[in-house]
Parts: sequence; C-alpha cells; structure tokens
Amino acid sequence: MHLDFGVAWKFLPILLHASLLTIALFVLSQVLGTLAAFFVALARMSPRAWLRRPAAAYIWVVRGTPLLLHLFFVYYAAPAIGITLDAFPAAIIAMSASAAAYNAEIIRAGLQAVHRGQLEAAHAVGMTYGQVVRRIVLPQAVRIVVPPYMGNAISHCKNSSLASVITVPELMLTAQMIYSSTYRAIEILTVTGLIYLVLTSCLSALQMYLEHVTTYERRGLGGARRRRLRLDTPVPMTPAS
Amino acid sequence: MIEVEDLRKHFGAVRALDGVSLSVAAGEVVCLIGPSGSGKSTLLRCVNFLEEPTSGVVRVGGQRVGWHDRDGTPRRVSGRELARTRAEIGMVFQHFYLWPHMIALENVIEGLVTVKGMAVGEAAAKGRALLTKVGLADKMEAYPEHLSGGQRQRVALARALAMEPRVMLFDEPTSSLDPELVGEVLRVMERVAADGMTMLVATHEMGFARKVAHRVAFLDQGRILEMGTPDDVFGRPRHERLRRFLDQVLA
Repeated sequence: MHLDFGVAWKFLPILLHASLLTIALFVLSQVLGTLAAFFVALARMSPRAWLRRPAAAYIWVVRGTPLLLHLFFVYYAAPAIGITLDAFPAAIIAMSASAAAYNAEIIRAGLQAVHRGQLEAAHAVGMTYGQVVRRIVLPQAVRIVVPPYMGNAISHCKNSSLASVITVPELMLTAQMIYSSTYRAIEILTVTGLIYLVLTSCLSALQMYLEHVTTYERRGLGGARRRRLRLDTPVPMTPAS
Repeated sequence: MIEVEDLRKHFGAVRALDGVSLSVAAGEVVCLIGPSGSGKSTLLRCVNFLEEPTSGVVRVGGQRVGWHDRDGTPRRVSGRELARTRAEIGMVFQHFYLWPHMIALENVIEGLVTVKGMAVGEAAAKGRALLTKVGLADKMEAYPEHLSGGQRQRVALARALAMEPRVMLFDEPTSSLDPELVGEVLRVMERVAADGMTMLVATHEMGFARKVAHRVAFLDQGRILEMGTPDDVFGRPRHERLRRFLDQVLA
C-alpha cells in the first residue's frame, strides 16, 4: 500500500479552516445548551408538577432519541412550519437541545449532592434562599459537576461531526469532500482524526485544570484568601464576646 | 426569652408534637430529654421554623417566629424576614453540618459576612477569637474533613456564637460523637451557659442535664410528660415512663 501524506499536507489549511466551524458549532451549542440546562434542571427539581413534568418529559425524549434524528428533524421539519433554516443554525438548535437535556441531568445531580443539612445550617444562621444557593450550593455543585460535565462536553464536541449530514461544511464533511476527490481516504481521515484529538485533548486539559482549582483542600489556601482572612497576623488575646 | 404555646406538628398521621407548651427565661438552660422519636428535635426545629408547626405559637424575645400580626390578622413572614429572625437564634446540629468547602474560620465568619455584612477582616478577627475560645486556635485553617467529630462540633458552636444570638438551640450535639470526644464539647457548652446564654438543649447526656440545666423537660410521644428541676426529674420522677427511661439510660 502506498501512502501519500503530501496530499494531506496540501489540504491541511482547508481542514484547519473547517475545524473553526467545528469549534463554533461545539462552543455555541455547548454554551446555549448549558444555560438552558440550568433552567431545565431547576424545573426538573421543582415541587410544582407543571414545571417538573414537562422538564422530565423533555429530558426523556431528547436523551432517548439520536442526535442524528434531531438534526434531520430540525432541518427538514422547520420549513413545514414556515421557517427556512440554513444548515448551520439548524445544527445549532438541534445540538443545543441535545446538550440541554444531558447537562440538565448532570447539573441536577450536582445540585442535589449538597446535603440538606448544610442548607438547614445556612438557613439557621439567617441566610436567605439566594444566599444559600450562592454561598453554599453552587461552590460545591461546581466541583461535583466538573468531571461528568466535561466528559459530556467531549462527546458533544465529537458529535458535531454529525452536522455533516445536513451539509454543514465542518471538519468531517470537508474531509469527506477532500478524500472523495483525491481518493486519499486513509491520509485525510488520519489527519482529521488528529485534529479532533487535539480539540478533545484541549477539553481534557481544561477538565484537569478545573478539577485542580476546585479541590483547594489538598493544596491549602491561596495568598489572596490568606490575606483577606488575616491569617498571618497574630491572634488577638481577648475573646470577642 | 423562648415561649412555646400549644405547639403541634403532624407528619401525616404521626403526631410528632402533640400540644407542647414551654417557656425559657433569659439566661436559663432547659434540657429536653426523652426517647428517640419523642419530639425533642421537632420541637427545636419548630422554634426556628426549619419545620413549620401545624399549629401553635412560638415566640423568641417576644417576637413571633414565622408569622407577624402587625395589622391584626396573622400573616406568614417573607423569606427575608424569617432569615432575620433566624439570625438571632443559634442552632447546633447533631451532625454538625459544617460547610465542607470552607476552612474552620470561614465556617465561623460566613454568617457575619453574608448575613450581617461585616467586613471579612473584622469578621476574621472575631472568628479567630471565638475559635480560640473553643480551644481550636491551631485548627483555624483546617477543612472540616480534617477535623475530628468533637472539633467539628466546636467549630459549629463557634459558628452559632459568632452571630451573637439571643438564644441557642442544641439538637443532640454529642449524640454522633465518639465517647471520648463528648467531654470537650460539653465543657464548651457549660462555659456558654455560664456566660448567661439562654439555651434549649435536646440531649442524652444526663450528667450534663443534671449539672448545667436549670430545668429538665421529659418528652414522650410528642408531649411534655414531666418538667422540673434536675433534682426533681432525676431524683423524684413521678411518672412510670420517666422512671423506666431513666433506668434505661442510666444503666
């Protein structure tokens, strides 16, 4: 078998350009999907059935059907109700909807992992609901959520390749077009795979960084926090009370 | 300082509190004793409205908790007003419930900073003095997971004291501690009592109740069956149920 990576080298700028669209697809739908997920998660945990049931149904339907189907559905169904969507916005809608369903369950798990007793203790010192969420729940939920959230983000990044089927000229579709005209599938697919690997590796690195900054227990206190608490000045000898 | 009138709390068919009346004077220490499920915890949790009573009235410092009747008709207070009332009622829990993402000192000053709006530096000075007072001068920077049960409970005590509450509620503060750690927590509680704090304490520590309490109330099936001085309750129990309970816990 004769391999010619010169072809891949020649088309690398085009592949890199296409990966910008892959990044745009991923980042936009991930951000929109996460914002929506926060509200879906809150609705899913609501004591009010009219909020909880639709949220649960949404998660059930979207997680239970393939993203490929969502892409086709948004792209082909939108004209039926009088809206003509370009491929890119259609892909953003379908991918955001999918990310929202998965991330809602991840966020819910994080919010619910904070023990109820800690919330009671916060209410007992006189915090309002908003203060409890901000000071007690979110700081702890974030660290619980980071690993599953980032794992899901990596899947989501790779799933952006599915947008190729509705003609979004992202990395995967571009690769297909190149190898079908050059007949250099192995070389082009290898380089394309490496580009995906670089993208997902960046996300893995981000995950490691986020896990590092949220597990400060094992690293002690940072300088700013020490100074704010005046930990390095001597303890006053007279009790305050 | 604390007044409870005909308090009832039903969980479905279960009557956790079945008409409890009790008043605690300023500076008084009242211990609640009784078997598990007798309503001790529920009573404490109703005092600061962590549990909403089915009926009855709770007043702390003359002010009704959870309700106001400014214009004649009683109305539920807003979340903000309830929070303000709770800031004046300290509570210590059986399972501590420290916030694990904060060091001991931050746990103690969180209420001062977030609820009272005190500057962090000022709050920290106060928090350090309090932690020193409960014997934890060398543990200010420790996260809760690195503290023993007794140390955690003393941090929780300092956290409640920091708010300078008018009364303090203790919900079995030593029941989840190893036996050798109980003493260090009880000693701090004794000192808080000696400083004149109004305290309502649910406990299984009969020695503490006998030594520190001004009055002891025996709860059984959601009612106060017997109440009096420690000498009366422990020395001359009138009810058979109380005698049986004391035989069991003192055996």
